[in-house]
Amino acid sequence: MINELIYVYCISVDPQELINELRSRGLKSICIDGFNVIIKNVQEKEFSEENLKQNIADLHWLEANAREHINVIGMIMGYTSVIPFKFGTIFNSRESLEKFIIAYSASLLRNFDFIRGKEEWSVKIYCNRKTLSKHIDELSEPAAALEKQIMASSPGKAFLLQRKKADLIQDEMDRICKECGQSYFNELSIQSEANSLNNLLPKEVTGREDTMILNAAFLVTKDKVTEFKGSVTKSASREVDSSFNVELTGPWPPFSFISINEKTQ
Amino acid sequence: MNENVIDRSRDITILEVLDRVLNKGVILTGDIVISVADVDLIYLGVKLMLSSVETMEKLKAGKH
Repeated sequence: MINELIYVYCISVDPQELINELRSRGLKSICIDGFNVIIKNVQEKEFSEENLKQNIADLHWLEANAREHINVIGMIMGYTSVIPFKFGTIFNSRESLEKFIIAYSASLLRNFDFIRGKEEWSVKIYCNRKTLSKHIDELSEPAAALEKQIMASSPGKAFLLQRKKADLIQDEMDRICKECGQSYFNELSIQSEANSLNNLLPKEVTGREDTMILNAAFLVTKDKVTEFKGSVTKSASREVDSSFNVELTGPWPPFSFISINEKTQ
Repeated sequence: MNENVIDRSRDITILEVLDRVLNKGVILTGDIVISVADVDLIYLGVKLMLSSVETMEKLKAGKH
């Protein structure tokens, strides 16, 4: 007998009008304790713990399945609030899924109350350090002062000061990046209900020349989204920001704002 | 139906997708779940990609 596993995409509360859409994608909505759980039956040969580990190492498999995960949740999100599950959340049986939902129902409800009517938006900021270093004398007083000193020095002294300046430039760029990230973060935090600072991803991951200096998610009330997006754009046009690239994406399922950690009882 | 950026766009980079689906969402622990209990192990393949990320400690400190 082939043992089927249950892959969970998300949970929603409202009645589903998506039965046909779900069916055409091989998905099911099952009702447990008043929640609609969006699931797919999957095979052990693909999703057992051991096989999943192997499959995840295959980037093509991972990309296709990760995109499917987010697309399914995105589709449900078009109709109703969702609590998204992490990619690869798998239950052995309907019984174990039911056990989980019932045990955490109070926490799930609290999460729904928190995210209802809100959207997650992602803001990633990158700094092009080459461009920034070209403008460093305009942006950094210590750098400008040192440059002035270099200009007035003998060639020998100027050489030593140049080396000192190279170090100073790196420090000053770090400072400017930090201030820029902080300033965006503060400004956007004011316009959102909650925020989450996510890990900065290194260049090997982003595949970009410029450096990620902010990776943040904001939970924004739906009727404030236009304003929020306006602020991102407005901030992005600041003079100092010619070296910075701001990327706004969304709306995302509220991945960054779900916290299920207490059992009912 | 609301327009959904994620649903219709292929422009969303896989980086954005993985940054969300692997790191966030309901994360379960305990004996009821076979896989996610060991998330770190499960995601060995992408661990290299997504780990070794430095956090903005200063920003975090300034958050509260």
